[in-house]
Amino acid sequence: MPLANPPAPTGVLTRTRAAVTATGLWRAYGSGEAQVVALRDVSVQFTAGAFTAIMGPSGSGKSTLMHCLAGLDTTDRGTVNIGETVLTGLGDKALTRLRRDKIGFIFQQFNLLPTLTAEENILLPASIAGARTDPDWLRRVIDTLDLRDRLSHKPTELSGGQQQRVACARALATRPEVVFADEPTGNLDTRAGTEVLRFLRRSVDDFGQTIVMVTHDPSAAAYADRVVFLADGQIVDELRRPTADSVIDKMRGFEQRAPIAERTAR
Amino acid sequence: MTRLRPQSLLRTTVKGMAARKARLALTGLAVVLGAAFIAAALVLTASIRSTVDDLNGAAYAGVDLLVRPVEPETYGERLVREGVSAETLAAVEASDGVERVSTTVSWMINALDDNGKVVGGFAPTSAVNWGDESTDRELREGRAPETDGEVAVSAKFATDSGLGLGDTVTAYSMTSDKTEYAIVGVYGYPGGRDSLSGGTELAFTTEEAQYLVFDGRDVYSMVAVHAADGTSGAELLDALAPAVGAEAETVTIEDYSAEMSAETAEITGVIGNFLLGFGLVAVFVSVFLIANTFSIVIAGRLKEIAMMRAIGAGRGQIVRSVLAEALILGALAALAGTIVGVAGGAGLTSAVAGRLLDSAQVSVAIPPSAVIAALAVGIGVTVVSALVPALRASKTPPVEAMRAAVKADKPITGVTVTGAVVTAAGAAAMALGLTGSLGDRADLAGVGIGAGLVFVGVTLLTAWLSRPLVAALGALWSWSFAGKLGRRNAARNPRRTAGTAAALMIGVTLVTATATLLTSVKASLTDYFQDNVKAELFVTGPLTAAVSPSFDPAVMDGIREVEGVDHAVEMYYDLADIDGTEQYVNATTDFAGIVGLFGGTVAEGDDGALADDEIAVNAWAAEDLGVGMGDTVTATFSRGTEAREFTVAAILDDNENTDGWYVAATYTDEFYTTKPTMALIDVADGGDVAAVTAAVDGLLANEPEVSVQNHEDFVAEMTVFYDFAIIAIQLLLGLAMVVAVIGVVNTLVLSVLERTRELGMLRAIGMTRGQTTRMVTVESVTIALFGAILGIAVGVALGWAIQSALVETGIEVFAVPTALIAGYLGAAVLVGLLAAIAPAVRASKVDILAAIAYE
Repeated sequence: MPLANPPAPTGVLTRTRAAVTATGLWRAYGSGEAQVVALRDVSVQFTAGAFTAIMGPSGSGKSTLMHCLAGLDTTDRGTVNIGETVLTGLGDKALTRLRRDKIGFIFQQFNLLPTLTAEENILLPASIAGARTDPDWLRRVIDTLDLRDRLSHKPTELSGGQQQRVACARALATRPEVVFADEPTGNLDTRAGTEVLRFLRRSVDDFGQTIVMVTHDPSAAAYADRVVFLADGQIVDELRRPTADSVIDKMRGFEQRAPIAERTAR
Repeated sequence: MTRLRPQSLLRTTVKGMAARKARLALTGLAVVLGAAFIAAALVLTASIRSTVDDLNGAAYAGVDLLVRPVEPETYGERLVREGVSAETLAAVEASDGVERVSTTVSWMINALDDNGKVVGGFAPTSAVNWGDESTDRELREGRAPETDGEVAVSAKFATDSGLGLGDTVTAYSMTSDKTEYAIVGVYGYPGGRDSLSGGTELAFTTEEAQYLVFDGRDVYSMVAVHAADGTSGAELLDALAPAVGAEAETVTIEDYSAEMSAETAEITGVIGNFLLGFGLVAVFVSVFLIANTFSIVIAGRLKEIAMMRAIGAGRGQIVRSVLAEALILGALAALAGTIVGVAGGAGLTSAVAGRLLDSAQVSVAIPPSAVIAALAVGIGVTVVSALVPALRASKTPPVEAMRAAVKADKPITGVTVTGAVVTAAGAAAMALGLTGSLGDRADLAGVGIGAGLVFVGVTLLTAWLSRPLVAALGALWSWSFAGKLGRRNAARNPRRTAGTAAALMIGVTLVTATATLLTSVKASLTDYFQDNVKAELFVTGPLTAAVSPSFDPAVMDGIREVEGVDHAVEMYYDLADIDGTEQYVNATTDFAGIVGLFGGTVAEGDDGALADDEIAVNAWAAEDLGVGMGDTVTATFSRGTEAREFTVAAILDDNENTDGWYVAATYTDEFYTTKPTMALIDVADGGDVAAVTAAVDGLLANEPEVSVQNHEDFVAEMTVFYDFAIIAIQLLLGLAMVVAVIGVVNTLVLSVLERTRELGMLRAIGMTRGQTTRMVTVESVTIALFGAILGIAVGVALGWAIQSALVETGIEVFAVPTALIAGYLGAAVLVGLLAAIAPAVRASKVDILAAIAYE
């Protein structure tokens, strides 16, 4: 099924349930003189079934925000909810279980296990959990990503785009509450990047998946329903139904504040 | 302001090394061990020698010469000791330049403890004369013996026998009857020692000592000569020649000390060689460890090396920078090893001197050769091991620096082909040797060289073998997903896995091969006894006793009446002179019984009883002497004063159990041991062996020297040496295990570092710390098991090959030491578990954010 391009955001306003909620997040690194505040009182909601992009200049705290939302990093103050679960204050075991069961990850570097085949990589989260995956669902994801012929291949036998598609399938295989994608197109050429972004879009539209993507690429952000802008550790703006041009315009506005951003960059 | 100048390559190397101290320290540890064992071995040998010299010097202070009887050429169990006669003593004493003389009477005897059993075993009991000046005896309690019925005992004897001042001790020699002596004194030796060299001693009056040792003749074991002032030992040596005559010889105290040192050196040489062996195994194993570590380190630095090449570093510079690192590491490790080894050798000298010489005083000698050898081997092995990785590193194309990801290892085809060729060559050599196609001597050499080649070949093949074997081992962990991942990781880099497993493989191969061979030897002996000896029970004493164990023949009547005993025969034994040669002679009242119970057969002549003037002989002994049926031989027994004539009445088929000569029990009074030394008991079919054993045991209550033994006991006693050897060999495995643990830790830590990003991803998508730990542990255990299984397979195969080559020497049975092998597998698992601890903890604590953050 051909995808509309540019993508048409669908019914954002009609969905009210938040998949991920952050309230009053603070995160600082180091102490004293060298202290860098990465997040300052960030409150944000990510609606279920929507595709949200987090943007900002480097050092704006966008990666930190994502790590805190995904239970990879701890917060100094504030709370994070994934669905009904409050992340804040959970121990390593509970956080690990939460990541395993409720979160999917897509990384810039693909991060596939070289010892496993594509199929085994896709099944990895389920294998770790010792759980079964819904075969119909899996078939659908694999077909959508056009990976059927590649299932028995090792990552070294796949192109970058194919590897990232495998990583996408891995993220979606367990039908997580939310998928966090960290610069998913950062290591791909334009064509392969577009394929991945189209898939992400489609997984929101067709499968109702919630996706939070960190990117610095305005044209990648244009695939989202909504763009949240971070600068200097704070949410400074947001944009609904973004286009590449409207994102660039917004970005230009922040870049004048770059000196502050650089001073606080990690 | 610091001046900017290019850093020398050496400084870069040293800085690089400082950055990976822990890793290098682990690698160096194997070299430390190797150098330490080598240094310790050499220090121990030298120190024991100097300690013995010191002890002798102290014992014979003031003595210049020793006069001693000329030892006869044959070393049998001579009944009557040779001695320096009283006439010679008087002549020496009267010679010019002699200030005074002192005499020693000393030989081994038997003495009974408070339970009526013979004291001792490995360490002999000696009788000496109290006046003996060769040793300073220091009375601790009581006084010196003054009459023939009195004795002073060494402190060790008092401890071992449970007897003390005021008690009565029973002592006897080969020539004397059992006599009771009153203990009037207990003494020790200089330096607070309880014994000399671990033996026990009883000091009598000179006359009583002569009664025990020399059957009452007025002769002496040794005469110590103190030269008058102004006379040297060498001058005296010539001056004494006429007085000493032909019956005795004179040695200077220096020569005597040298002889003693040489004797001790033989024993310490064994310990020294054992340590040297350990050192060489450690060194051999560390070759793999070092090569592996350098390969891994270089793999991790490939980009850096490529970058250096790209900016203009020559290949030689790359090789030199790696070798410089190896040289520095080798030097530090070898130095540390030498220090540890010298200290250990000194410590060991104390322990060995304490045990062997019962000496608390030790003189430690550190020969320069020990230091040089340990340093040279340590440094040499490190540099040589690093050579291959260094050369490989230098071949890194500069373009590697630009590539995104470092590709997998080079193919292992070259090593595999070499390994296959070497293994095949070894197998061929072994096959030729085993089929006897090379001629007598070359056959065994062929098998030996072949075994060595197979060993090296399989070591080279480990990388190739690792894939299928590790996959097969994976079945063990298939129940756990983390286990599966760990197994995959183990199979990931065959070269690395193989290099790591090789350390364990080598150790396990060596011990398995040795244990297999020794187990086969034991099994062959046991089988031989089971198949050939009809008697179920033996009455016999320890083979190591100073005086041949014997018993009263009267007990035989009782034994024959025990219910269930079908047949019982006693045997007397002597080393006699037959037609001018030393021969083993057995005497028995029941020739046919002995032959039957030992499973022998008579080839020619009568298998009935032997008449007083008849003799029977094993075929090969007859052939040796060139005698046949009906020929006459002359025999003089140990105590015999006249030669007796016998006619050969029977010739036995060749059989090791019935080796030697057989006569009737007519002349046993002239035998060295006048009483029977062994009895064979055949239990009737269906008889209760346990009940018979108990009954015979009861009958032997008053026979302190012998006991009743079954086949197993008997074989066990004969093969006790092999048990010691097997235990000693296990120590070797222990060492190999230590090195293997180091190797596995090293590999795993590096792997964990390399896979940080992967581990971060796994943790991010929900792998628990426990699963991460399990994954690394499985990898570790898999590598260790792989090494052990390979080692066991090669070891058993080599053991089998050597056993096959030795079939003709009587090692006919091939036996696999299953319990030991199970132990090795257990040990391998233990190695894996131990080695996994640190890397697994490290892997489970990977900082997820740092791991997945992109550069």
